[in-house]
Amino acid sequence: MPEYKVPLRDMQFVLHEVFKAENLWQTMPAMEDVNRELADAILEEGAKINESLVAPLSQPGHEEGVKWTDGVVTTPKGYPEAFRQLAEGGWGGLSGAPEYGGQTMPKMLVLLFEEMLYSSNIAMGLYLTLTSGAALAIDSHATDELKTKYLPNMYSGKWAGAMCLTESHAGTDLGMIRTKAEPLADGSYSITGTKIFITGGDQDLTENIIHLVLAKLPDAPAGSKGISLFLVPKMKVNEDGSVGENNGVHCGSIEHKMGINASATCVMNFDGAQGYLVGEINRGLQGMFTMMNYERLSVGIQGLSAAEAAYQWSSIYARERIQSRAPSGPVNSAGAADPIVVHPDVRRMLLTQKAYVEAGRAFAVYVGKQLDESKFGSGDVKGKAEGMVELLTPIAKAFLTDKGLEGTVAGQQVFGGHGYVREWGMEQLVRDVRISQIYEGTNGIQALDLMGRKIAANGGQNLNVLIAEMREFAASASSVSGMDEFLGPLRDAVDNLESLAEFVLAQAQAGDANAIGSASVEFLHVMGFTLYTYMWAMMTRTVLSGESQLGDAFGQAKIHTARFFIQRLLPQAKGLSESIRNGSASLMDIPEEAFA
Amino acid sequence: MPQYTAPLRDINFVLKEVLNSDKHFASLATREEVSEDLMDAIISEGAKFAENVLSPLNQVGDQQGCTWSESGVKTPEGFKEAYQQFAEGGWPSMTASPQFGGQGLPNSLGLVVTEMVSSACWSWGMYTGLSQSAARLLEVYASDELQETYLEKMTSGVWGGTMCLTESHCGSDLGLLRTKADMNADGSYNVTGTKIFISGGEHDMMENIIHLVLARVEGAPSGTKGISLFVVPKFLPDENGEVGERNGVHCGSIEHKMGIKASATCVMNFDSAKGFLVGEENRGLNAMFHMMNSARLGTALQGLSAGEASFQGALEYARDRLQMRSLSGPKNPDGPADPLIVHADVRRMLLTQKAFAEGSRAFIYWVAQLVDTFYFSGDEEARRDAEELSELLTPIAKAFVTETGLESANYGMQVYGGHGFISEWGMEQIVRDLRISTLYEGTTGIQALDLLGRKVMGSGGKQLMIFTKIIHQFCKDQKEKPGMAPFVEKLAVLNAEWGDITGKLGEKAMSNADEVGAASVDYLMYSGYVSLAYMWARMVSVALDGDADDAFLKAKIQTAQFYYQRLLPRTESHKLAMLNGAESVMAMPEASFAF
Repeated sequence: MPEYKVPLRDMQFVLHEVFKAENLWQTMPAMEDVNRELADAILEEGAKINESLVAPLSQPGHEEGVKWTDGVVTTPKGYPEAFRQLAEGGWGGLSGAPEYGGQTMPKMLVLLFEEMLYSSNIAMGLYLTLTSGAALAIDSHATDELKTKYLPNMYSGKWAGAMCLTESHAGTDLGMIRTKAEPLADGSYSITGTKIFITGGDQDLTENIIHLVLAKLPDAPAGSKGISLFLVPKMKVNEDGSVGENNGVHCGSIEHKMGINASATCVMNFDGAQGYLVGEINRGLQGMFTMMNYERLSVGIQGLSAAEAAYQWSSIYARERIQSRAPSGPVNSAGAADPIVVHPDVRRMLLTQKAYVEAGRAFAVYVGKQLDESKFGSGDVKGKAEGMVELLTPIAKAFLTDKGLEGTVAGQQVFGGHGYVREWGMEQLVRDVRISQIYEGTNGIQALDLMGRKIAANGGQNLNVLIAEMREFAASASSVSGMDEFLGPLRDAVDNLESLAEFVLAQAQAGDANAIGSASVEFLHVMGFTLYTYMWAMMTRTVLSGESQLGDAFGQAKIHTARFFIQRLLPQAKGLSESIRNGSASLMDIPEEAFA
Repeated sequence: MPQYTAPLRDINFVLKEVLNSDKHFASLATREEVSEDLMDAIISEGAKFAENVLSPLNQVGDQQGCTWSESGVKTPEGFKEAYQQFAEGGWPSMTASPQFGGQGLPNSLGLVVTEMVSSACWSWGMYTGLSQSAARLLEVYASDELQETYLEKMTSGVWGGTMCLTESHCGSDLGLLRTKADMNADGSYNVTGTKIFISGGEHDMMENIIHLVLARVEGAPSGTKGISLFVVPKFLPDENGEVGERNGVHCGSIEHKMGIKASATCVMNFDSAKGFLVGEENRGLNAMFHMMNSARLGTALQGLSAGEASFQGALEYARDRLQMRSLSGPKNPDGPADPLIVHADVRRMLLTQKAFAEGSRAFIYWVAQLVDTFYFSGDEEARRDAEELSELLTPIAKAFVTETGLESANYGMQVYGGHGFISEWGMEQIVRDLRISTLYEGTTGIQALDLLGRKVMGSGGKQLMIFTKIIHQFCKDQKEKPGMAPFVEKLAVLNAEWGDITGKLGEKAMSNADEVGAASVDYLMYSGYVSLAYMWARMVSVALDGDADDAFLKAKIQTAQFYYQRLLPRTESHKLAMLNGAESVMAMPEASFAF
């Protein structure tokens, strides 16, 4: 299994040269201490700990997996020590609030740390990022008392967090959950019920686990309007902050899964566990949604990360593996054959991975920028960013993970038969990334969220803001020499996106209740391709305008890859658009019983 | 774990009504007659075996996997017993030549049984499938003496077979292989070398394993022109033709893989093992290619059979699982929510699976008929056309059906949501097992080069023209038929466009040798979509002739509409991508792939 190297140069290109993060941070009072030097130091230190500590545990963790014995979960060898080192390094509190010991770093930087963490080891990374996610929800909605009691230990990594939403009969449809919360005399609640698919529900990395649990009060309204959110620690916390006895929270079993074998996916039994309300009664889903934008971006980054690792390893293999001669004549005459990177189809697979990964990284940082502006910005900037976050989050989650699977499968393909054999590590990437298309809302749900809630529900308002921004960029960049070949396709893609959205909304307004659902996944992909075109145009503008200091070869490679994306990948948007324009009838006409 | 149910109605529809199997069987001069009763009996008995004996082994096989020890490889519990039952039932000999105890039935009928076996438990099916492929090769290429020594035992399934091609440094590029064969005084050879990725190289299901090994004779020309083929048995037959002395062939280890865990993937060490030349020296690849075409069609079947199994599992779940309400109003008002199948996007996934599975079934069964015609027809012209056409279609079937099968298996998993990722539900195993199919027997990239380089360009467009003429004629004949216009109009456009694209690529290739490789996979996928569009149009035409109230036939037409409207537009993307040429693929210097 090859070594993972953090793509620092590309991260710096995106952060500093394309999005000029430092200029942005200077406009935000909460970010006044953050500058390029600090950002680079964080990226470099992050690279060290991930490359040397986290990545080497990935394959052994995959082979060993998590064990469950009589309610006790044991993570693979080396995981507790590695988690402790990450925690001590402060990596769990990067985006935490300063008053509770967090470092309040901007998301556009923190997400690059998440990228390295997941490229190194998704299973390990989840324990840390889910803790950050739980802390974020607590910070946004809990009382000061709860924050003071729980957040410092979560940011420091002494305690971990977990999200408890799903029940066996309620996944996508949370309105059906049955876990009960009975009010107690002291204002706390007694929580009883069973949750499934709880990542990090139990583990041996931390002395306590803080569960955020969705449950219903006895008199709550039916459906999703009757759900409340509770903080339920695994171990009770004493007045002095020390850990006390078990709180009636037990792991009933763990799942045997396709991948992320080192991540404990738990059935959690809450048996009269003491819980504390977070936010208002019956407003629990709102509390979850705050955090969900961050979580969904984070899951999207898992797709990016796995694809980055697959790209690195397959591009190394393609340069080392000798097999057959180049069609245009031998390039390695002294050897028995040429390296497979000479073969056009192998290059196609490598460039496909590269084009998606680099556009994906830029897109993730772009979404991170919107999250930062919506949180730390002010006025119009903040308002616009809030709309963009809503619009772009489902795309970040679904498109990055769909392209993540595609990238890892292409990387595996470059290895031929060896890609199927475990020791080479490629099949693990495919298996680990596959869940990212499913959890935190399946990609089908993301697409419905995009098309229904984020576009149709506001008459396309946010979409129009984005379309105007992309057109404005195309106009402003047209003065840069050499940009025509990228801006022409961008303008066409934006026009297509606009007319496609109009088409679907018109169908829906004309009374076709299935117009949105039957177009949604393909629409999300068309929008993803359009945004990636925008990212590639931004990146090539940076290079062609001479704003990049990263060297000619680096810049040239960006141009080559952009060209490949435009010529060989963007055409997929055509087929998808045509499919959408053919309407919903062919999906809905067939009666259910006629499927087989 | 989903229980497999053989899709008998569709199988019969494709065989009898679309592909007129009765006429086809009657046209095969050198095969045994197949009455409808016999055909029905074979299919229904095969279905029972697949459903009752093999399907229950699939998950156990994945969990237990194969285990290696010094004394050999142990297959999972129940594998050996199931095989004994299979062999006793006479299944291995179905399509074998009567001269060696075979039943002489057409391959296109044998393939139907293989599909069912494959859907039920692919790993198990590999042992018998590869054994029968090896036997078919010996029927054609081996000397009388070798045939007499080995074929009876192999035909009855008492002995198995393998193909030993790959070495650690050579997979796609067989010209690099190093295994050596030194001739002995008695005309036999000593074979020495190490082969990897040998499926069924060692196992406990059959009493002997007959390896077909590629090796070089001393002094042979370098590259692919110096490769010979040898029979190397695990046990040398004694004078009575029974298992005798152990030969110098041993399994060094087995691979730990993503899937098909119950299929032993072996490192095979040949240590001066006694081998016997098959055919002429240095002509080994020719014989191997013969076998490879049938193995490629068999691998295409993996895409179909896994796609079918995944579709069945997903459909059952989509009907049972209650989650959310339909956007057009509740469909299950008495329940807490509606079944998943009401949701448009879930339908999109299911219909994609259904369209690929049924389209691929018709396509593969048709190619199998062409192969039958080539081998067994008495009509020389029909034989030649069938040969050309099956050569063209085999790489399309192999790569397109496995690629779309993988897409389908991933959809099946996706329909299950989080449960799809959990092993006990069986959906993730289908994805893991199937993932190998785009890699072995020549990767998708290799199939695509074979199609565009060797078959299309190599025949000066002739092979393609045989097919496009058939489609052209079909469109002409069908366009006036009520209900056919929406299908044949689109099909005719794509058919003409296929020729245009080929011409343009041919021109480009004359000035740039990289154009073929840069276009090949897009070209293959394009070709696959058009091929399935043709099969779907044929199915619609038959369905339109039937009872208008028959729900099955109506569903055929509706699934065809879905295919034409929602999947076929992908051809446009592949066309644009490949016509944009090789430059953007080749221009970047190798060093720039990473910084």
